[in-house]
Amino acid sequence: MAVIELTVNGRKQRTDAPPGLMLLDLLRDSLGLTGAKPGCGEGACGACTVLLDGRPVKSCITPAASARGKTVVTIEGLAPEGGLHPVQQAFLETEAYQCGYCTPGMILAAAALLDRTPRPADAAIRQALEGHICRCGSYPRIVEAVRLAAREARRD
Amino acid sequence: MIDESLTREYKRREFLQLLHAGAAVSLALPLHGAQTPVRLLRSGDTYELRTGKIDMGQGARTLLAQAAAEELGVPVSAIQVIMADTALVPDDGGTWASLTTPQTVPAVRQEIARQQGSTPRQPPEWRVLGQSTPNVLGRAIVTGAQVYAGDLRHENTLAGIVLRPSSLNARLTSVDAAAARKLPGVTVVHDNDFLAVAAATPHEARRAARLIRAEWTPAPDPPISELAAEWRKTAVAPVENNQTRYPPLVRKGDAAAALAAGERLLKTEYWLPFIAHAPLETRAAIAEWNEDRLTVHSGKQAPFLVRAEIAKALGIAETQVHVLSSMPGGGFGGKQHADVEIEAARLARSAGRPVRVHWSREEEFRWSYVRPAGLMEIETAARADGRITAWRHRNYNAGSPGLPPPYDFPNQSSEFWRTPAPFRQGSYRALASTANNFARESHIDERAAGFHQDPLHYRLAHITDERLRAVLLRGAGLFRWPGPGKACGLACTIEKDGRLAIFAETAPAGKGFRVTRLLMVADFGAALNPTNLKNQMMGGMIQGLGGALFEEWTPATRSLRAYRLPRFSDVPPIELELIDRREIPAAGAGEAPIVLVAPAIANAFFALTGERGRSLPLNR
Ligand code: FES
Ligand code: FES
Repeated sequence: MAVIELTVNGRKQRTDAPPGLMLLDLLRDSLGLTGAKPGCGEGACGACTVLLDGRPVKSCITPAASARGKTVVTIEGLAPEGGLHPVQQAFLETEAYQCGYCTPGMILAAAALLDRTPRPADAAIRQALEGHICRCGSYPRIVEAVRLAAREARRD
Repeated sequence: MIDESLTREYKRREFLQLLHAGAAVSLALPLHGAQTPVRLLRSGDTYELRTGKIDMGQGARTLLAQAAAEELGVPVSAIQVIMADTALVPDDGGTWASLTTPQTVPAVRQEIARQQGSTPRQPPEWRVLGQSTPNVLGRAIVTGAQVYAGDLRHENTLAGIVLRPSSLNARLTSVDAAAARKLPGVTVVHDNDFLAVAAATPHEARRAARLIRAEWTPAPDPPISELAAEWRKTAVAPVENNQTRYPPLVRKGDAAAALAAGERLLKTEYWLPFIAHAPLETRAAIAEWNEDRLTVHSGKQAPFLVRAEIAKALGIAETQVHVLSSMPGGGFGGKQHADVEIEAARLARSAGRPVRVHWSREEEFRWSYVRPAGLMEIETAARADGRITAWRHRNYNAGSPGLPPPYDFPNQSSEFWRTPAPFRQGSYRALASTANNFARESHIDERAAGFHQDPLHYRLAHITDERLRAVLLRGAGLFRWPGPGKACGLACTIEKDGRLAIFAETAPAGKGFRVTRLLMVADFGAALNPTNLKNQMMGGMIQGLGGALFEEWTPATRSLRAYRLPRFSDVPPIELELIDRREIPAAGAGEAPIVLVAPAIANAFFALTGERGRSLPLNR
């Protein structure tokens, strides 16, 4: 069985990865990090989104082997222990969730967007998140949250 | 398979108990006779509120904590709400029919007032209710700490996989599992049509499942296109029954005679497809046996119904089963029954270890249940000035919620005709109210157009309910009805004591059209948590947008790519307006906002194209 080394939320990890294992399963089943959610298994909902070397990927269709030697950030590691990333803070302030199942994926994708584009127009926010489904229909508040996070980040 | 008799009996008992308790009727009526549906325990400075209700994103946990904090005069943070653990909480039915607000909130307040020897605080004195208290789960949600059923990782737990046939009603005829059984640590269960494996990891369980050779008798899925004709032949007429939450026959005057003698008859027909709940979290459960006692942890809306169904399926007593429910990652009426729980329990019984089963998206689409499709026929007679004199509304298959019209028709009959269901159908947010409002609000619009009358004024001429008139008029003002030069439509209703109106604007786009603006005005009585209420209104409208424009389930639906859900780019600017009436007991609002989206858009589509969209989804 193949062994993979990668860095997850700042910690080096060494773990078994049978061929065909997806990054999502490695995170949830091997490392016990359940913040990334399974929603469809085919890259069509964004619930499983994590950051791989800073870029959002759908971990359900990302082979675990492709993360070898790379850096993964999940929702559990987006902010230092006990703190909140500005995007998390903005989601909290706008209550941009209902059941919350899509929220980790939305937040990570939004954080990556703001890294690349600190002042996104609403259209750019929607475009960056288009592959993410919120079945509870929190979309307008999510756009508002990302807008707020961008504003707050500029103020700091 | 859903055990319908069990469900019907369970829901009937719940309804009668409620009727008896009077809790649903008014806050002023005391709760006596029936079991109080909540319990309050004190430990030091904190309180534990125990309820059978669950939070599935509609904000129930926060709202109930607000209600308790209000009466106890303590901060919301002093209230710990324990939900949906059958060993700890009283059985008060499931989280359905938007009852938490009108039933459980008053019950909490009454119970606390009773313990304090006082009466619930009056609206002018409220300090916590009526405020937009932040969702108590917010921090857990944004940090990923919120745990859903599929996230549970118990020690020593195996992963289970169920083998499924390629058609919904196939029967299992032969199984060869020898190769799978040889793998170390693999358990195979084969019992009638149930065939499943458990292994140390999901990966290994899937590998074992691939080694099993199973044969099923093919049983083709019934074609949906023939249902309407069949229903007309086989449907059973309703009989009057008012001892039920949603009477199947609502009458006034003599609709048949008035239609026979009436003039300017119009008969129209509407179709609503099956749709899937498609909660973003697919269902999951962990089952663990301890001798003859079973503990099941899942994420369902009705822990006691789930317990009864598990007990029945496994041939054990309900007292042997303990059900705990985590917050579902979306429920929408689709997570009321035991299914994945029973599968996990059967595997765990054979394996002698706890087993976790987590459905794939394909299983969620194919093996859960769907919102019933509906065929609606409406026939009316009218005077020369347009006033409707007779109204007959027939609904085949979809159900009876939402049948009573909000209009004053002197002769009317609204009927739900039962039909044999070819698929597993069940509850869905607002259930048939979406079907009934789509038909009613489309027909009334067709009538207005036929008489060359403004659809707003035409409706107002038939409405005496002051609160409904008020939401319509407020909406018309904010929307600037009739939206000069624009293709706009509207719809209104009274749903579960709430008054709602939606205004929609459409524009051509490509070969079709798009919705460019939506506005909703709602009066749910007292707005107990306005921010949360607006979140529910928004969510309901966007889910309604999916049903109006894209969603259609068939037995072939297997993946999210093949089932079009609303996305960011589909959502037009949405304006929400609440009319807060503090003095009126709050109505539930988790369901109502979904019911008017389709007719408002269909009516705007008519204004745009001159064509009637009588069959959903409109953007097929
Ligand atoms: S689970 Fe990965 S995109 Fe849906
Ligand atoms: S909040 Fe439930 S899916 Fe987005």
